[in-house]
Amino acid sequence: MHETLKFERDDRDESHVLLRVTGDVTIHTSTRLREQLKPLFTTKMKEIRIALDHVDFMDSSGIATLVEGLQWSRLTGGRFVLLGLRDNVKDVFSLAKLDTVFDIEGSTAA
Amino acid sequence: MGNPCIQDVSFHGHESSHVGKLCLQMNCNSDCIHVLRSMVAVMTARAGMDELRSNRVAVAVDELFANIAAHAYGGKAGRVELETCICNESGHGRALVFDFRDFASTGWAGNLKEIAEQVPDPENLTPGGLGMRLICKVSDHCEYESLADGNHWRLIFNINDGEKHARNA
Repeated sequence: MHETLKFERDDRDESHVLLRVTGDVTIHTSTRLREQLKPLFTTKMKEIRIALDHVDFMDSSGIATLVEGLQWSRLTGGRFVLLGLRDNVKDVFSLAKLDTVFDIEGSTAA
Repeated sequence: MGNPCIQDVSFHGHESSHVGKLCLQMNCNSDCIHVLRSMVAVMTARAGMDELRSNRVAVAVDELFANIAAHAYGGKAGRVELETCICNESGHGRALVFDFRDFASTGWAGNLKEIAEQVPDPENLTPGGLGMRLICKVSDHCEYESLADGNHWRLIFNINDGEKHARNA
C-alpha cells in the first residue's frame, strides 16, 4: 500500500508524453494525479500515454481524473492511452464498464 | 478528534478470535483511507477471499468512506465509526459485513436499486457519480438508513461464493 503517488515524466517531443504513475490512486492522492495531467491537456499535445503498471489500487476518484483525459482526447482529437493496467485496476475499469471506452494497451513499451 | 482508534473485539459465542469484530472510530480525513485498507486486508484474509475479491471489497469500503466525507460532511471534519465482522447470522449466509455510522446532518437521497442498474453513456462520460455505482456493483447487499442523528450504511459481501464471484464477473 502506497500513501503517496510518484510520477516520472518522459517528453518524447513537444507533443508526445509518457507519464509513469507509481502508488495507489485514491481520494487522498488523486488530486496529485490531476495536477500532473492538467498541464498536458493542451491543443498542442498529440498523445498522452499514462503508464499504470506500478499502480496497485485505483478508486473512482482516480478513474474520474482519467475521464478528464478522455474528454481532452475527444475535444482535441489527441490520443489518451492507458498502459500496463494490473489485474486489480483492470477489474475496476471493467466493473465500471469503462474498459472498452478508454484506449488501453497491455504493455508499457513505447 | 485524534488518531483513529481500532479495536479487535472477540465475537460472542466463538472461542477463536479470528472471527472477531474490528471497530474503528476516526475523523473523515482522506488519509484514513489507508487505515480502512488495512482493516479490509485483515478481514478479507480472515474470510479467505482471493486478491481480486479483496480488492473489490477495498474499493467499495473506500468509495463509501469517500462518499460520507464528501457528501454527508461536505468535505469538513466529522466523526465516522466503522464496524466489520464475519457474520453467520445475517440472513445472507456467511458474510463479511461493514457497518458505517456517521453523525452528519445531511442525509442521502439516492436510490440504490437505480444506481445499481445504471450503465455509463460512453459518449457523454462525466467524472462524477461512479463511486456509488461501484459500491452497488461489488457488494452483494448495500443498505442505507437515515437516522435522527446521522446515517447508517451496511455493506455485505457473501463469503461462500466469493471465489466464483471474482472469476465470473
